[in-house]
Formats: sequence, C-alpha cells, structure tokens
Amino acid sequence: MKIITIIKQVPDAEARLHPAEEGIDLDGVTFVIDGMDEYGVEEALRLREQGFDAEIIAVALGPQRYEEAIRTALALGADRAIHIETDTVLDPITQAKVLSNLVSEEEAELVFVGGKQADWDSAALGPALAEALGWPHSDWTTKLDIGAGTLTVTHDTDEGQEDLSLPLPAVITTQQGLNEPRYPTLPNIMKAKRKELKKLPLDQWGGVQAKTAVVGEAIQVRERLNRVIEGDPVEAARELVRLLREEAKVL
Amino acid sequence: MIGTITRATRTHLEDFFELEPLYTPEERLIRDSVREFVQSEIRPHIDAWWTQGVFPEYLPRQFGELGVLGVTLPERYGGSEASYTAYGLVNRELEYADSGMRSFVSVQSSLVMYPIYRYGSERLKNAWLPKLASGEAIGCFGLTEPDAGSDPANMRTRARRVGEHYLLNGVKRWITNGTLADIAIIWAKEEESNEILGFVVETDTEGFQAVDIKTKASMRASATSELYLDEVAVPISHRLEVRGLKGALSCLNQARFGIAFGVLGAGFGCFEEAARYTEDRLVFGKPLASKQLVQARLADMLGDLTKGSLLAYHLARLKEDGRDTPARVSLAKRDNVRAALKTARAARDLLGANGITTEYASIRHMLNLETVSTYEGTDTVHTLVLGREVTGQNAF
Ligand SMILES: Cc1cc2nc3c(=O)[nH]c(=O)nc-3n(C[C@H](O)[C@H](O)[C@H](O)COP(=O)(O)OP(=O)(O)OC[C@H]3O[C@@H](n4cnc5c(N)ncnc54)[C@H](O)[C@@H]3O)c2cc1C
Repeated sequence: MKIITIIKQVPDAEARLHPAEEGIDLDGVTFVIDGMDEYGVEEALRLREQGFDAEIIAVALGPQRYEEAIRTALALGADRAIHIETDTVLDPITQAKVLSNLVSEEEAELVFVGGKQADWDSAALGPALAEALGWPHSDWTTKLDIGAGTLTVTHDTDEGQEDLSLPLPAVITTQQGLNEPRYPTLPNIMKAKRKELKKLPLDQWGGVQAKTAVVGEAIQVRERLNRVIEGDPVEAARELVRLLREEAKVL
Repeated sequence: MIGTITRATRTHLEDFFELEPLYTPEERLIRDSVREFVQSEIRPHIDAWWTQGVFPEYLPRQFGELGVLGVTLPERYGGSEASYTAYGLVNRELEYADSGMRSFVSVQSSLVMYPIYRYGSERLKNAWLPKLASGEAIGCFGLTEPDAGSDPANMRTRARRVGEHYLLNGVKRWITNGTLADIAIIWAKEEESNEILGFVVETDTEGFQAVDIKTKASMRASATSELYLDEVAVPISHRLEVRGLKGALSCLNQARFGIAFGVLGAGFGCFEEAARYTEDRLVFGKPLASKQLVQARLADMLGDLTKGSLLAYHLARLKEDGRDTPARVSLAKRDNVRAALKTARAARDLLGANGITTEYASIRHMLNLETVSTYEGTDTVHTLVLGREVTGQNAF
C-alpha cells in the first residue's frame, strides 16, 4: 500500500520576519518543513516500522525552495518524493484539486496532511483534499491504529476528543501529540540524496485556475520600545501598569 | 503596542558573512539535526555532568544512532560518506554545548576510526569500524606520556617483538576516553628499529590498566585517563601499516581540523550569552549593552568568530580537495582556539559575578578551552610550525 504525506515549507518559528513595501520580505529567512507535516511523515514511518507494508511518498506543491523540506522528509525515511513545482500561490481548494489527481494516479490509500499551516494558520487543505477525493477524513488526529482496511483514530474536537473508525482509503490531518518526530540521522540524510525526487509541472492534469487571488498581505508587527523605567521599584511598577493600561491597552 | 521581546536569532550573527548558501542541502540538514539533538539531549544536562565530572555511559550509543561517529567514512564501515564541511559542522554544534562532547566525537572519529580505516587491515576494519560507528565500542588514542607531550618522538613506551606478538610496556597519560575504551590506539617505539609503530590494543588484554585523572578543572564532562601497559601482548595483525611519527600526526591533523570548527561552537555560545546578558543587565541606570566599552568587546567577539568561521569553512573545502597542509591546519587550530578563548574570557568578565558560576555557560566553556588550547598541539607548538613555514628554520 502507498502512503502519501503532504509537505509544506514554512519560515522557521524563530526567524525574524520583516514587513516590506508589499507583503513580507523573506530574504535571509530560514525555512523548515512544517512541524505539523513532520507528524505525518513520522506516523507513516511508524506504521511501516510496526510491520505494515507501505511505500511512503512525500509530496509537495509549491515553489522551488520547497525542495529542502522535501529532502528533510526523505532524510527522515520517506522512500521517494514528488514535487509539483509552481510559484503561483494557490488557495487550498485549488491545491486539493491538483493533489487529488496525483493521489489517484499513485493509487495511494492513506494521505497525511499537516493539521494547520504554521505560516498562515490555514487548516483547510486536509478536509478539502478529502472532499476532492470523496474519502473519509479525520481532523486534529492525536492517535492512529491501522487494521485490515480500517483505521481507528482519536481526534480532538472543540469540547474534547472523539474515537472514530474510518475505512481506507482515507485522509488524516495531524495534531500535536500524534507522535514525537525523530531527528534525521546522518546516514539517512546522505542516503536521501540517492532517492528519487520527481518534478511535475502544475498543469500535469490540465490547466489550473486558482479560485482566489492574493492581492495583498501583511503581518502583525511587534517592535520593542527599548524603554527602561527608572526610579524605585514601587514607583516603577506603578508606571509600568499605567503604560500597559494607557499606551499598550493590554490591561 | 508593546510586543514580545525579539532578539537576534542564532542564525543571524552566527552567519554574519552568509556562509549558509555555500553549504550543500545535506550539510545544512546534518547541522540542523545535530543542533536539535544537542538542544534536547545535551544542553539540559551538561551543567550537571560537568559539575559532577561525569561523561554519561549512554551517550556513545546516542551519538551512534544519530550517526555522528566517523561521518566521513564509507557506508560499508558504518560511516555516512559526508563531507569534511559536514564533519566540521557536527563538531561545532556539539561544542556549542560543551568541548567534552566534541572531544569524545573527535577522538572516536579522527583518532581511532581514522587510523584503523587508513592503516588497518581489512579484518581490523570489519571487526571494529561498524561497532565504533554505532557507539557499541569506544576507542581512545594513546600518544602522550607523562614525560613526552609536545615532543612525542621522545616517548618511552616500547614494543618488543616476540614471535607472532608484540609486547608493549609503558605509561600513557592524559588519554581521553581511556577508562571507557574497548580499544586503544597505542603508539610505541619498536625496540629493534627505534621507529614509532601504532597498535590496536584491546583494553581487556592482560597487563592493560586505565585509571581516571580526577583533579581536572577543565573538560570535566569527558574522561581523561592514565594508561599502564605491562607486557601487554598484541598480535602482529593488530599493528597499523605505518612507520614513524607521521602515522600519529596524520590522525592529529584530522582532529585538529575538527577543532578549528568545534571551538567556534563554544565561542558562539559565550558570545550569545554575553550579548543577551548585557542587554538585560542594568548598570548606572542603563543596559550594559548601551555602554561603548561593552559594545567594543561584543564587536571584537563578532569579528573574531566571524573570521574564524570563514577560515574554518575555507579550510574544509581545501581539505575536501586534499589541500589541507599541516601548516594550514595549524593556523586554523591555533587562531580559532585563540578567538574562542578570548571570547570566552571576555564573556565571563562581562557577566560579572554571575560569570563565576556554572549556571552560565561562559566559565565552563572558558575552562574547557584551556584544554583545547593545550591538546592537539599547544598554541606554542602551532606557532613554531608556522614560524618554520615562514622562515624555513626549525625552532622547536
Ligand atoms: C583533557 C586532556 C585530554 C587529552 N587527551 C589526549 C588524548 O586523548 N591522547 C593523547 O595522546 N594526548 C591527550 N592529551 C595530551 C595533550 O595532547 C598534551 O598535554 C599536549 O600535547 C602538551 O603536552 P604536555 O602536557 O606534555 O606539555 P609540554 O609539552 O610539557 O609543554 C609545556 C609548555 O611548554 C611549551 N613548549 C613545548 N615545546 C616548546 C618549545 N619548543 N619552545 C617553547 N615552548 C614549548 C608548551 O607550549 C607548553 O606551554 C590531552 C590533554 C588534556 C589536558
């Protein structure tokens, strides 16, 4: 059976982002594989290590730089990778459509998608992909067991958690707690160099028309004031409270 | 709006001159993986290990699993066939936590696996390299003696040929991993030829004894031992195929290369600590970081470590091309240790009394770096190598 894990690449959580004239200046920012996607890769690896016979394919849809995130997935243990390369920003519905073609063509039976994108916080891709494929789906999945043709999962809901059983094929979106991803080991990093990384054009399955277009973007800007409050501690505390209430308006 | 405090991230000043794009994707992944490992498996414990003077027994297996032992060696012997740049970055990330961690990996990779790989028989390689790579076996390197350090040619340890064996007699001192080791690479003079030979000695052989040196004020998270060899019988098949001091020196050249990278980790650890501390510490009503004299010292640290990083990187690429002459390695080892030690001492000072406790890393790094300045050729020894390079005259 084939397992596909969808990979995205996002700015490192520790990176400092700079707002630019239009949008965000990503120059000099380190990019990493999205942590939520790593849970998917790890879960696929664990299924295989439990003796489940599977070929694990890492799939990414995005610009050329995504390649480094794909290499991380290969270094973690994915068998091969497919990169649909494009600089066009696609909405999740359109992404899901493109990816559903690939999933069908590969005849994969289990797809892992990161629960929520670390950069723009979107959680739409997983459900959209399930919808496009017409497959069952479990979101915010924290536990997964595989049986003959079925999955048993535990997933988070707004109020608590729920146990589900789903027939295969299925789409699983991940949640923190699903597992503890491993570090890529040095031998595996070097071996990954020899693994297949296939590039496909975006229009592989016909023309792609994004449903929405991004016309502008902005991030919340946080600046430090570098202000030191002088004076005795009691006075300083009073001044701090005043600033927090009147200037920062957080109290 | 008052926001969360943002600070320069590690990558920003650590790579002031943008070496990042020059690394291959594999080199970057290796660096990041080791960095994560160090962050979660070593940094939380290192202060306690150092203070208690222990090197945890489980670590070699973890190092082996991660794959940091013998990284440049072929896969068939358990290596990763990674580049020397990757090996350098591994050293730097480990020494960011503690020089003792890097020491273990240096010794195992450059001083034990390398000579077996380069000079050992196929049987020796197959018997030991995979186990050394996985951390199942530990090795040590015995060159220095109580009365022969900078001048190893003056060693007293002797090897006497008796039938199919050599009998080894002598004392080795200051040997990293000595008490932990399953095998020791022992350098000894052959009685009949007076030439230096290298042997792979199994430490459970009768007559071999290792005792730890307990009074160190440096490298406390690393075992340093004395080895006693009393008529230790070693089969001739365990002899390395090299004659003269050049065998041992070729190993040291490997390890010294790694040190040129490693010490940058310790240096950056101190630099970051000092930068953070001086930002938060108020003196005379203002942050220390706002004072010109403090800024001058931080600027020096950045300069020294940046130049060291460029030097190490370029040396690695030369080495990958086979052009790492011993004199180039001497320059990089000497000057990068100096840069790191100067940074560590300045950081220690900028932290005031807090810099005296091991709750901050600077003093630990500073004390460790005193060893690094002494071992693998003292600062003076490398100066004399460079002096000879300039003048053509031997001043040893
Ligand atoms: C923690 C630790 C771990 C070590 N691990 C190992 C190991 O694993 N294996 C191993 O074999 N060794 C190891 N060593 C030993 C180390 O390599 C030696 O200590 C080093 O080579 C210096 O030798 P020495 O201590 O005998 O000093 P000496 O050679 O006696 O030098 C003393 C001083 O004299 C200076 N000096 C030497 N020659 C000259 C000269 N011609 N002109 C002017 N000044 C000179 C030196 O620079 C130094 O300042 C380790 C040492 C330490 C501290």
